Amino acid sequence: MLHLLKIDLKKMTSYRTFWVICGIYFFTLIVGAASGMEFLKALSRLIEGFGQQINITRIPLYHFPDVWQNLAWSGGLLKMGLAIMVVVSITNEYSYRTIRQNIIDGMSREEFLLSKVYTNLLLSSISMASLFLIASVTGLIYSPELDFPYGFTGISFYPAYFLEVFAFLSFALMLGIFVNRSGLTIILLLFSYLIELIIKENIDNYLPSIIPFFPLESIMSLVPMPFARYVFMEIQDSVNWGTVAIASVWTFLFNYFAYLKLKKSDI
Amino acid sequence: METVLSTNKLTKNFGKIRAVNQLDLEVKRGQVFGMLGPNGSGKTTTLGMLMGVVNPSSGSFSWFGEPATHHTRKKIGAVLEHPIFYPYLSGQKNLELNAMIKGADPAHISKVLETVELADRKDDKYKTYSLGMKQRLAIASALVSDPIILILDEPTNGLDPMGIAEIREIIKRIAADGKTIILASHLLDEVQKVCTHFAVLKRGTLMHIGPVDEVGKGEEIVEVQAYHDDLGVLLQEFVGSATIRKENGIFEVMMKDGFHSKDLNRFLFDKGIVASYLHTRKKSLEKQFLEILADHKS
Repeated sequence: MLHLLKIDLKKMTSYRTFWVICGIYFFTLIVGAASGMEFLKALSRLIEGFGQQINITRIPLYHFPDVWQNLAWSGGLLKMGLAIMVVVSITNEYSYRTIRQNIIDGMSREEFLLSKVYTNLLLSSISMASLFLIASVTGLIYSPELDFPYGFTGISFYPAYFLEVFAFLSFALMLGIFVNRSGLTIILLLFSYLIELIIKENIDNYLPSIIPFFPLESIMSLVPMPFARYVFMEIQDSVNWGTVAIASVWTFLFNYFAYLKLKKSDI
Repeated sequence: METVLSTNKLTKNFGKIRAVNQLDLEVKRGQVFGMLGPNGSGKTTTLGMLMGVVNPSSGSFSWFGEPATHHTRKKIGAVLEHPIFYPYLSGQKNLELNAMIKGADPAHISKVLETVELADRKDDKYKTYSLGMKQRLAIASALVSDPIILILDEPTNGLDPMGIAEIREIIKRIAADGKTIILASHLLDEVQKVCTHFAVLKRGTLMHIGPVDEVGKGEEIVEVQAYHDDLGVLLQEFVGSATIRKENGIFEVMMKDGFHSKDLNRFLFDKGIVASYLHTRKKSLEKQFLEILADHKS
């Protein structure tokens, strides 16, 4: 496993685009996650009366335990950046035809796919660890009082966030393996939300019960949007294990479809 | 001799087109095996199947007498069609990657870079290499695991005469090391110069398989020139001539079996003619190749 991961990392670590995309992604993730208060200030400047209606300093954005879900959800918005990186990584292998040479050199098709999947796992883990670190630090800074174990409520959103990122990267990898061309794959990836939304809206009238089973819907629902609680609404503040099960099945299927496609195609 | 490769009715269809048709090949250890055929005759598709990138439609093959897995491929060094590398990596890093995949000792890399004379450019990015250097790096990558078998597909494609000569020298050197080489080419001259055995493919079907030595056997062709006006008529009187052609003022006499250039020379001398030019030629692979393809035209 480590060997395959090393092979894929060797391909990427001398590739400037990889560092640029990853740099932008992790910079935005880490700095963005740490700048929540600045966002609120900017928001209060922009929207007249926002500051008066709701006192921004009283919004417990970074207080334990709110910070866990707040940051896990916000971080999830950025996963597209990482997914584009994954698309570039896999479609390069097709456009340079290096996938062919890798297999000629003695990789099996399974191993080739696994090397990409392991990189996805690594990127998802680093995302989760970064976000967890920022949440812990900001939580310690901003929380008026530390009350554990109550403060840990919602920490399970981190494994859920990990699954969210990994599931989406698996989806991007599969699209790349089916489409092979980077531009087209990225457009498909961007449009996939819209396409699923259109289907969902149409189906809503007939079969609303199947909507939670849609792939991107299930991925998005892993960490539900938390901010509605600040306008005194009820929110889902714990991980729904049914959603985890659905998203896990989709993640498995994405990788399995990618495997089947690789297995039967001439490269 | 030990069989390193055998194929059994290997077939590949692309839709309605049959690219490779029930191919039976056998390559033994130490051979330099040439695969000949016009463009589109199925050479690369065949090698693609042998190297696991093209799934056969039917039939089978075995390397070293065992069904092939990706582990067998690690013992083979292969370059199909054209060199494939990561353009943004240096030659050295590309070879390190090849070595990692093949499970080869990275210490080999500097040695193979010497072999292909790329050591001084190893830290430059692959995309800055000339075509000849790319081809040489490809040979280096095939050699990096010290393979038992080397597969080269059109290794001199697109190279200038000097590049061709360099690659040919490298192939000969590798062959002298006792490695088995499978060389696909449509350059017949190349195959005749370096191969011990050859096979001819046409539209995916095997037309001929045999040693290169045998190509030269059979009729001799003698080229003659002499200062004599009726040389053409005289040559027809010679009992050993089968056919006579004139090209650029030189007569090409195809000899009958059992007759040689010295017989022709003696005949001319007896007639009081001294040849100013006399050259014996064995039948070239090119000729044989064209004959093989023509024979099967029907």
